[in-house]
Amino acid sequence: MTVLAFEHVWFGYGLHPVLRDVSFSLAAGETAALVGRNGAGKTTITRLVMGLEHPDQGQVTLKGEATASRKPEEIARHAAYVFQHPDQQLFGRTVGTEVAFGSRQLGRPPEEVASLVRESLRALGLEHRSDTHPYDLPPAERKLVTLAAALAQDPDLLVVDEPTQGLDRVQRDRVIGVMQAVASRGVAVLAVTHDVVVVAEALDRAIAIADGAIAYDGPSATLLCDESLTESLGLEQPSTVRLAMALGMRQAPVRLQNAAVALARHLEAEG
Amino acid sequence: MSVRFAGVSFRYPGADEDALRNVTLAFQPGEVTLLTGTSGAGCSTLLLTAAGLAPHVTGGTRTGEVDTLGVDPMTESGRQALAGRIGVLLATPWTQLSGMAYTVHDEVAFGPANLGWDREEIRAHVHESMKVAGVSHLAQRDPRTLSGGELQRVMFAGVMAMAPDLYLLDEPAAELDPAAAGDLYAMLSTLALDRAVVVASTDVDRLAEVVDRVVELEHGAVVADGPPAVVLGAAAAVERGTAPTVAVIAHRAGVPPDYPTSVAMAARRWSA
Repeated sequence: MTVLAFEHVWFGYGLHPVLRDVSFSLAAGETAALVGRNGAGKTTITRLVMGLEHPDQGQVTLKGEATASRKPEEIARHAAYVFQHPDQQLFGRTVGTEVAFGSRQLGRPPEEVASLVRESLRALGLEHRSDTHPYDLPPAERKLVTLAAALAQDPDLLVVDEPTQGLDRVQRDRVIGVMQAVASRGVAVLAVTHDVVVVAEALDRAIAIADGAIAYDGPSATLLCDESLTESLGLEQPSTVRLAMALGMRQAPVRLQNAAVALARHLEAEG
Repeated sequence: MSVRFAGVSFRYPGADEDALRNVTLAFQPGEVTLLTGTSGAGCSTLLLTAAGLAPHVTGGTRTGEVDTLGVDPMTESGRQALAGRIGVLLATPWTQLSGMAYTVHDEVAFGPANLGWDREEIRAHVHESMKVAGVSHLAQRDPRTLSGGELQRVMFAGVMAMAPDLYLLDEPAAELDPAAAGDLYAMLSTLALDRAVVVASTDVDRLAEVVDRVVELEHGAVVADGPPAVVLGAAAAVERGTAPTVAVIAHRAGVPPDYPTSVAMAARRWSA
């Protein structure tokens, strides 16, 4: 089932053109990375999804309805958005109220809100932070709070902008785990990211934007293994792939666990 | 010597515990140092303390001795002596915008102009630093319309334009795409030719290959200090979650430590 569709979308800020004829769709349970150079138009796409901007031409549909005819609060029933910078969206006095806010605004019964909040905090390792003021947390944990708040909305589509920026490895692994878990429950995930580890581990599909148009749309593993394509898009190949290539291994696994298995085999074969 | 900490602790106002604990270290000219650790380890706080922004701007209490470019940045006279001499890049570039400039060019010129330089000198520095930061093509754009990555490079140009004697960079590539991040990292050793460059970052995968030294913090205390291969290739770094991906792959593959910290190092060890 299609959750999100861009149909021949053109968009610009004033006279500054940003998106040119962008079309793609995202099905339930699908995970997609939105990649490309700085200024390519990735964040603009997420703003169009959330109805914070509307196309100059073409249309964006969410669960079959054009976003242009809906208010952002109606869109929030289906899509949850995590801004790139947590300070752009945090305002609750405690982590608990912050994470509950969106879910509560959607009119869910209190016991359901409480259960969603508990579950989201636990998924991100924040259960002990429920009574803390968000601004008393380090920036990386603030970022996790905004993701928890999005999860607690129980959306059909999760849109995240640079979900792992500034996170350490343990936190990053949690975010990867959360994205995999929500996708397995049928939530579509669209993630703007420069973090190729996240693309490799958690996002099966990659949509690359260059100069406002789609330059690649396909399996992320195929993109990450293609040296010239990643380079032309301003991306880098993950260490997993670069290591396999440097050692002349026949296969280049993109995920860390597979890379470890492949390395062990390679070293054994080499004696 | 550019920065010297002797027994430095720092606590933010209202906090229950210290953000820095008894830190003793020094940063030398000619050296690029990576300051890393898990989230909340104190890396940003250490930079702010070296620059004097903590406690001057943040509030809080510092104990111990800090010497930055020959003065104590906590004192009024020290701060005056340091004006324009430290290139601080915050992890959140939009908080560093002057708000006084309508073009990128004027934003980059803002620092030098406030230092009272003459017009020609400002022009030359602004031109050169915009070129080096790769933002010359944005010169006439309104800084408020830039993407995060563009803005971060503009802020970096603004810092370079002041020709500081010390660079303190907090996640300088957080907003950048991988290609732009690579360009910036490649510049660090040039910046460090005659001054210290200290970079706080969790991007160990790429920085392990370009820095001279790694200082690792945990709960505000220094837990390791040495060459990148020694600090980041240790089994302890994998356990603490601060090791580069290549080291983690090697660890999971059952290779004994010390682990290689970069693809190039792994290739040297295991090829042929």
